[in-house]
Amino acid sequence: MSDTPVTPPVKDPSSLLFEQPRVRRTILASYWAVIILAVPLWWSTTSIERLSLPVSRVSTNEDKQLRFPLRVHIDVGQSPDNAHEVAVAVQERFTARKERSLGKLDAVELTLVAGEAVQPSDSDMYRVSISDDISHPLQYERRLAVPSSLTSQTPDIVASLFTPYTSRGSQSFEHIVSKYSPRYRLAFTLLNEDAASGKSVVGWDVQEAVSRHLSPILRQMGVLHNFTVESQVRFYAPLAFQPDLLMVGDETLHGLTQEDLKVFVNSAEWTLASSVSNDPVLHFVLFVPSVSHTPLRILDHELKPTSSNAFILPQWGGIVLLSLPSDSPSSSYLSEAALSSTFNTFRGQLLKLLGVSDLPLGVETNATLPLTDWQLDTLYRQRAVENTAGSKETLGSIVRLVDQISTMPVGHGVRGDIEDSLDALEKAYAVSWNSPTQALGNSAKALTHASRAFFSPGMLALLYFPAEHKYAVYTPLFAPVAVPLVVTALREFSAWSKARRNART
Amino acid sequence: MQWLFLFSIALATCSASWAAHIDEEYNEELVLRALPNGKLAARFAFSTLLKGTTPRPPTKLSSDDASQHYTLFPLALGQLLREYAVTELHLTLNAGKWDYDSWGYPDEPGVGTGAELWTWMGDGAPTSIDERWKAIQNAFAGLFCASLGGMDTQRTTSPTRAFPPTGAMPHNARLRHATLPAENVCTENLTPFLKLLPCPAHAGIAALLAPHRVFDADWHGLGVHVRWRAGVGVELVLTVQAVMDPVRTSVEGKRDWSLRSLFDRTVPRACPVASSSHIKVFPPSSAVALALTPEPFWKGAAEAVYEVSQDTSDLDIAMRWPEEAKFTHPDRNLSSLSDFSVRRTLQGTTQTHGRLTVVLRNNRQTEIQTLYLETMPWHVEFYLHTLTVTCLGGKPCDHLFSNMTYIPPVPHAKPALLQAVLTLPPLATVRLSMNVRKSFLRYTEHPPDAQRGWELPPAVFIPVDSAARRMYTSPLLVDLPTPDFSMPYNVIIMSCTLIALLFGSLFNLFTRRFVVVKVYEDVARTVDVDDTKRK
Repeated sequence: MSDTPVTPPVKDPSSLLFEQPRVRRTILASYWAVIILAVPLWWSTTSIERLSLPVSRVSTNEDKQLRFPLRVHIDVGQSPDNAHEVAVAVQERFTARKERSLGKLDAVELTLVAGEAVQPSDSDMYRVSISDDISHPLQYERRLAVPSSLTSQTPDIVASLFTPYTSRGSQSFEHIVSKYSPRYRLAFTLLNEDAASGKSVVGWDVQEAVSRHLSPILRQMGVLHNFTVESQVRFYAPLAFQPDLLMVGDETLHGLTQEDLKVFVNSAEWTLASSVSNDPVLHFVLFVPSVSHTPLRILDHELKPTSSNAFILPQWGGIVLLSLPSDSPSSSYLSEAALSSTFNTFRGQLLKLLGVSDLPLGVETNATLPLTDWQLDTLYRQRAVENTAGSKETLGSIVRLVDQISTMPVGHGVRGDIEDSLDALEKAYAVSWNSPTQALGNSAKALTHASRAFFSPGMLALLYFPAEHKYAVYTPLFAPVAVPLVVTALREFSAWSKARRNART
Repeated sequence: MQWLFLFSIALATCSASWAAHIDEEYNEELVLRALPNGKLAARFAFSTLLKGTTPRPPTKLSSDDASQHYTLFPLALGQLLREYAVTELHLTLNAGKWDYDSWGYPDEPGVGTGAELWTWMGDGAPTSIDERWKAIQNAFAGLFCASLGGMDTQRTTSPTRAFPPTGAMPHNARLRHATLPAENVCTENLTPFLKLLPCPAHAGIAALLAPHRVFDADWHGLGVHVRWRAGVGVELVLTVQAVMDPVRTSVEGKRDWSLRSLFDRTVPRACPVASSSHIKVFPPSSAVALALTPEPFWKGAAEAVYEVSQDTSDLDIAMRWPEEAKFTHPDRNLSSLSDFSVRRTLQGTTQTHGRLTVVLRNNRQTEIQTLYLETMPWHVEFYLHTLTVTCLGGKPCDHLFSNMTYIPPVPHAKPALLQAVLTLPPLATVRLSMNVRKSFLRYTEHPPDAQRGWELPPAVFIPVDSAARRMYTSPLLVDLPTPDFSMPYNVIIMSCTLIALLFGSLFNLFTRRFVVVKVYEDVARTVDVDDTKRK
């Protein structure tokens, strides 16, 4: 350029087309336009899918409650005044228990009908009658008959039939009950501590025992749960600890202290169930101690042997100890008759684990089926309340979690599950006043959908790829591009304002 | 106590023949084979028979299964087979290379290095066979603590000619087969394996399986074999094989062995539920006098048999060669114990091409026909047109290679499958060779230890007239082009810099302002050229 000849005279550069301020500003503006137009594209390609959740529906449902209006008819025979008294007493006891239950029984409302005659066809009504013909309180279907000598106890019996969880040391009972699941796997295991030690049980007629002792219950509970049954025999299952040795009279015993019971299951060595599905498993173990640990007894807190040979591990299952008598053969087979007592215990344990309450003390039943309608109704209501509470809690947690973590994706699957769960929940509220079983079914559906949404793997996708990463990658591109753009824009702006000032003066 | 009394009555009435109540049978067997080279091949077989059962028909998978009650059969395994309606299944986990020449044929033919899984499954289920195949891998991976999940579609083939069903098939079934040669076998696989046995690790023959000795062996492997025998039932055989070297552990260099010296254990007592429990010992066929203690229960032409019964306690079998001061290894080249020997190699120095060579030597005076099977992941692609078959002196003899089927690989998806029949003339050496291309992998397809290379599954040879004598070659290691894994960041930085540079100069050019500067004569010397160009 130093050699540029001075002649012919040079053009003034500002007269050139591309040197005009207007053109330069257009170029600059178009750069900025491209960048601004590209921002939405960049935003949509790099942002995560976060569908809006039905937050308001979740919060309105949180305040709603199931309603189970129950009608109880009280019949005292000849004296209607007496019936009224009983009704008032029942209502009192029931309200007292309701308050003690910390809101778990709020769904249940009692309506007491005293004295009046009722239609025999009204099968939904609970009937309490006091009669002289019987000697024990008797409960069958949805009826309770109390002998007239026990009239004063009637309110207590009725109240505890409706509110079984509060009638005993309620906390510990609820702690035992397994979490609701539409399907359970029942795994029965005959566990020989050491079959080669001399005495062992090599087989059991478990199929027959299950069908005789448990099948009626499993059938009756069909509305609540489906069951898969499996069983096995194990011949070597060492304990992880050494049972205490103690002398009682002239007999040597091996004792399990209450502490030992908690660590009884040696899960490192024992394989107790198959793992083909994710259904919760309830284990039932018939444990045969080895000859060196026979007889094996359970000790109470004072280290005295108890008469019981079985114990429950909360939410896990039940264990029955079977100490073989010294005159038994080296390998024996347990027939259905020999298993009868064991399976009666298993049945009791199963009912406890599934949340079925016993009848109140002293009350008997003459029904052929193991559970009365009254007991089943109570269980349906209890599980429905649990499930709705559980699903409300889960839905609330999802909403809070998504709110807290701004990089958590929410896809169609999650939103669909939440909506399905809410639909089922609303349906459960709607039907609870006339059908506890439908309320249960819908509440179970709500719970399943809510937990599936909560554990949806898609929600974790971007948790391990933080936004800082993205900026680190973009900086080498954006910094060198942005600096000249901004600087030129500023300079152009100052030139323009200067020109305007000059034009004014 | 009343209950106990009732119970003992019930016991007394039914204990007489407990076996009659149980439709299951458990047998265990240990075979010890002293090899001519001083080593000892041990093979444990624990077989459980589920009498009178059939595999679950796949069409029934949509409805709930009947309750499963097992006594001797492992529940965890039994439920898996039911859940996925498996008709036949074979899983082997082996470490080391089986030396056919000096050890002969193994009792269990599945000795390929690493993990090998093959199943025969019926069709017609609501879930497809491939979905169930994937689920089985995951289930067995969980059961045996092995990383079988790597057997994806890139490793799965269906070589029906090489792996026919060993049992009967109740319905039309399909084969799925995959190998993972890089899988290691260790204690974490043996522990869950032993838990499947009725008498694990403290009674019966299984008591001998001390992990620190089994995994110290020259070669060791585990096997799970499930098959259906028509009219009999479902049979499960769990096997452990090991080749041990008494000479190595002996101070005097002798080949004497006993159960205690081999396994650090003896058989303490019998397993109470085993229908039969045998230990078979095969002495080597040599003229040197040997002593076997204790006296065997029964002596056959070639073997001595011990029975582990209820009155057995601490059975310790020992074999000694009293006249032998020190064991001298026989000349390896004298004779081979196998009908033919195979050597497979991958040659070539570049990362893009190579040459696969298989050399077979017939050790017998008779002609041998064998099926040759390659299940090659797409990482190595065969150039089949370069396949040459040469005999002694480089003479081409293509007629020895016949009946070939070839399924070409699908890059990034499916492996190649090559099956052919090879004829080996008496005492001849045949050399097969072809060019291969090594694939270029995507960045994400490399494993975490990419520099290690890829293990290629062993080739399998199945003699046409004796299918049980399946032979595996050793696996190959192929070195594929491996990128520098910091590459993506370098690429991002590099392209960002380039774009910024281009953008900067273009932008500058578009928005630059040019002005004319008058250059006067007297200052011309002091004004620099660059000053004429001012922003």
